[in-house]
Amino acid sequence: MPGKNIYKPLKYKLDKVEEETPLIKTFFISSDQEFEFKTGQFVEVTIDGIGEAPYTPSSSPYIKDKMELTIMKAGYVTDKMHNLKDGEILGIRGPFGRGYPVEDFYGKELLILGGGVGLAPLRCLILALLEEADKFEKINILFGAKTPSDFIYKDWYEKLAKEKNVNLLRSVDKAEGDWNESEGVVTVLLDKVDVNWNEVVSVVCGPPIMMKFGTLTLLEKGCKEENVYLSMEKNMSCGLGKCGHCALGDYFVCKDGPVFTYDEIKNHPDIWI
Amino acid sequence: MKVISVIKNLDMKKPEISFATKNFKRKGYMPKLYSVPIEKWQTILKDLSSDYQVFAPIYAEEFLEYEKITPENAAKISYNVCKPTSPLKAFMFPIKENVIRDKDSKKQRLIFGVPACDLSALDLLDKIFLDEDFLDIYYQQNRENTVLIGTDCYNFQDNCHCTTYGIEPVAQKNCDIAQSFAHDEMIFSPLTPKGETFLEKFKSELAEIQNLPDEVQEKRDEIKKGINEKNKDLPDAEKTRRGILKPEEDIWKKHAKTCVSCGACAVICPTCHCFLLIDKENFEKIKNWDSCQYPAFERVAAGEDPLKKIYNRLKNRYLCKFVHKSDMFGEIACTGCGRCITACIGKIDKNEVIIEVCK
Repeated sequence: MPGKNIYKPLKYKLDKVEEETPLIKTFFISSDQEFEFKTGQFVEVTIDGIGEAPYTPSSSPYIKDKMELTIMKAGYVTDKMHNLKDGEILGIRGPFGRGYPVEDFYGKELLILGGGVGLAPLRCLILALLEEADKFEKINILFGAKTPSDFIYKDWYEKLAKEKNVNLLRSVDKAEGDWNESEGVVTVLLDKVDVNWNEVVSVVCGPPIMMKFGTLTLLEKGCKEENVYLSMEKNMSCGLGKCGHCALGDYFVCKDGPVFTYDEIKNHPDIWI
Repeated sequence: MKVISVIKNLDMKKPEISFATKNFKRKGYMPKLYSVPIEKWQTILKDLSSDYQVFAPIYAEEFLEYEKITPENAAKISYNVCKPTSPLKAFMFPIKENVIRDKDSKKQRLIFGVPACDLSALDLLDKIFLDEDFLDIYYQQNRENTVLIGTDCYNFQDNCHCTTYGIEPVAQKNCDIAQSFAHDEMIFSPLTPKGETFLEKFKSELAEIQNLPDEVQEKRDEIKKGINEKNKDLPDAEKTRRGILKPEEDIWKKHAKTCVSCGACAVICPTCHCFLLIDKENFEKIKNWDSCQYPAFERVAAGEDPLKKIYNRLKNRYLCKFVHKSDMFGEIACTGCGRCITACIGKIDKNEVIIEVCK
């Protein structure tokens, strides 16, 4: 749009904040202007006078009047964000970047591997996929967390497991209470899923160590490099391919990503850092 | 010399986008040449400072810098001298800039004495900041609002090596007017409609000439030869790329020993474009120069940092300039100005590093 200021955030009121875990909260925002984004794209969220950081919405891209952001307290900006109360004002720029190419997934079997707060962008993806669930052969969802209480979206899984075409498997590093699902790092679930490794499209999102071992295990199983989709985390400032912070070899993660296939970025030495 | 007044007959379109500093591309168009005696030029220049904010290179002790020109200091301008200590980029992409403010209407700027190394850098900066997907309106305004007068370099400094990367130390692109000098005459050649419009302001003082004086061409050849000769052992961009891509680590570690992460190399570089948006109250944002040479440039909230070690940061600068920018934008991010070598307090000589990694 000519004359539009790419640096200027729009202001939104925070409807409510819900605690997912002691370190993770979901922020609910609504607007009479439509939120238009594709699943996997991100927005830059400004806390007034404090700072700005990129997050992928966790709500469905089909819902236009509301947006949810699930954010882990991990640094200066997120620390301040966790102190925000209902009714306070946030700034948002975006959406930015290249999200998941959902149309390329049509007719294919999917395997979604997620851990920790990495479930946030994957929830957005899954909600988008479920809008057209018939278009995919099967949606395998493999989620991990440190302990059962570390799972975010605790009320979601019972419903999700019943969705058509969905096979949901969960694992925790350490079982607690009446946990009766798998125990072990999330990659143990890859032994429990029956997929055609040669054809399956995998989507991985989670902490760097999980992304690394998740991807390497998928490749060992026979998953093709061009069929493994990764959502990359980098230091970002502008989100516009200008400030240089998120450079990853020949890419700016903000503009060319944040979603890449493993094949696209495998030659860069720093992808798991 | 015949005084001419025919500029208005050039049949040129009015400037549409006034930052169109790319050269005229009309078929068969040859830039016109005009000359004006230096004394007369000094008088014109004094008048110009009422219509324009004029900047031109002036020596302050041993440092040449773009200074704001007033009737008092106009006579001190150094013409056709290589190259201001600070790069041109600061005029388009200021060190600190509020990027939430309303666009302001400033007097048009006229910048004299811009060398080819700095003009060349605009190729990359324009691609980044004038990207159609995400147009930076402040950069655009700064570009639109500036008349650039490119200059031939009639001398060169120790670290000058523009010709290694195919840049001639001659004003021929990315400027509105090319300026040369011979026989106490300023020679102007308009390269864009904006340049034409500017020259029209004092057209009655200009004489059209048919050819560049031989001396200008001789001087250009001499300088080019001199720079080439001095840098004959320096690998070209392609060889440099291959050298930097070697898995070699020891050379980088060795040179990084004296790096203090001051970022002077990036600050002084005509192409370095990295910045950080700093948040202020009322959702204001300051676009502030940043550098991959500073610690934590790539650190994420959880603490991981691909550029944690100084030698990684040092190598990253070279990878960015000779490999990644070339792959992303089709051109390297070094114009051979050599400022980073002069500025380095750790005495890291970029060209020595390159020669070493290319061995």
